[in-house]
Amino acid sequence: MTTAALSPAVPKPAHVADAVVYDFDMFQDPAYVADPHRRVLDMVKHAPPVFWTPRNGGHWMLVSHEANFVASRDVEAFSNGFATPAELSAIQLRMPPGTPHIPFPLPINIDPPDHGKYRLPLQRVFSPKTINELKDSIRVLAGELIDKVAAQGHCEFMAAVAEPLPVVVFLKMLGLPVSRMEEYRALVAEHMSDPTPDPMDSIKKLWKITALLRDDVLLRKDNPQDDIISMLWKAEIDGKPTTLDDMENYMVLLFLAGLDTVMNGIGHGIRHFATDLALQDELRKSPEQVGDASEEMLRRYTFTVPPRFVKKDMEFMGLQMKRGERAMLFLPAADLDPKVFPNPDTYDLKRENKTHIAFNAGPHRCLGSHLARVELQIVYEEMLARLPRFRLDPAKPPTFHCGHVVGVSTLNLVWQA
Amino acid sequence: MKIRIEKASCVGNARCAAVSEELFPLNDDGYIAVDAVDVPPGMEQIARRGARACPERIIFVVEEE
Repeated sequence: MTTAALSPAVPKPAHVADAVVYDFDMFQDPAYVADPHRRVLDMVKHAPPVFWTPRNGGHWMLVSHEANFVASRDVEAFSNGFATPAELSAIQLRMPPGTPHIPFPLPINIDPPDHGKYRLPLQRVFSPKTINELKDSIRVLAGELIDKVAAQGHCEFMAAVAEPLPVVVFLKMLGLPVSRMEEYRALVAEHMSDPTPDPMDSIKKLWKITALLRDDVLLRKDNPQDDIISMLWKAEIDGKPTTLDDMENYMVLLFLAGLDTVMNGIGHGIRHFATDLALQDELRKSPEQVGDASEEMLRRYTFTVPPRFVKKDMEFMGLQMKRGERAMLFLPAADLDPKVFPNPDTYDLKRENKTHIAFNAGPHRCLGSHLARVELQIVYEEMLARLPRFRLDPAKPPTFHCGHVVGVSTLNLVWQA
Repeated sequence: MKIRIEKASCVGNARCAAVSEELFPLNDDGYIAVDAVDVPPGMEQIARRGARACPERIIFVVEEE
């Protein structure tokens, strides 16, 4: 294991008061990477409700539930676009002729009202109704993965279950070959792990993704199947037929969001179960409570940190913010805010208010939330049904990685085979 | 008891429908299909739970005098 160096601290801009500066590297803070939600609880207690950190180029962190809730829904103040479509076209025009289309992950990186036009074609395939029809096949797959390791009495859970389950489900939904899963996963890992402030680096990484997917995407144009790629080719965006550029915009988002999010939620949940044998016992006795248990797990271990861009010079919760500054929605902290969730560190199956914002609030609410919920609940149900009490392997404690997704890297479990 | 919903602000969490599909019907895209509900007698508790489950906080219970 390596401990990476913190990113260099940049000077504080004049409009940021000393009292709201808090030194936190959202990728490399050592206590955060060691045990993410323990560090989040510490920050909920000791950091300002909105603070500015000098790390990673300098940016705002929104900590309180209120700040996150208001900012997520105020699309006039906080933008999702790292660039506007017009700015991107300008960058594209400055590139040498023959430069490939710069993919623009959609609909996540665009603000209303255009956001709705791009989100609409995807809405139905990710609706609760469509997703519920996938339940049986997801349960079969989960059962197979768990049964493969059941007799050996131990597993590295991320590689054995948490990663293959949602990735296989998602590749099938999209219409991409499951046989290339390793290639896809390697590319996603590279994309997520290497933050640099140079936008050209991001663009190059996006090009790698579109290049890897292009053949399969084009194949579906003339040979449609029952999958999302084929459906998007048939869809219209704002009354116009989908173009290859549109497809690439969709694909980079679906690819990154579908392959690197829910597995981490599964990891956080199973890690908690492995340390809470009383909860395992209770849910084995009354599995009808697993749905509630899964919601409280999402609240207790919220794990995404979506970025926003300040859209105009403004005052936000008493602080001066300038146009173009970055603000991170620190959702893991929002769902541990004691003002909304009393005793936030307590995992409480009977908690009356479990209404978390793990999938964010506002128009960019996670499109895949219904799929994620189904996968989380099924994995918990099948793990409890197919394995006896499972615990953390005391010789190999879990490891984590942090960033826009707060993820579980390894999770070694043991049980009586 | 009545329920009032700020339908235009629905972002499709569908948590209300997870409590009761009968009280909180969704459209095919998974967004709330109605902006008001007359709560049948006996379902008041479920109506309150459905309203509380909304992460957007756009479902309001209107108690009758």
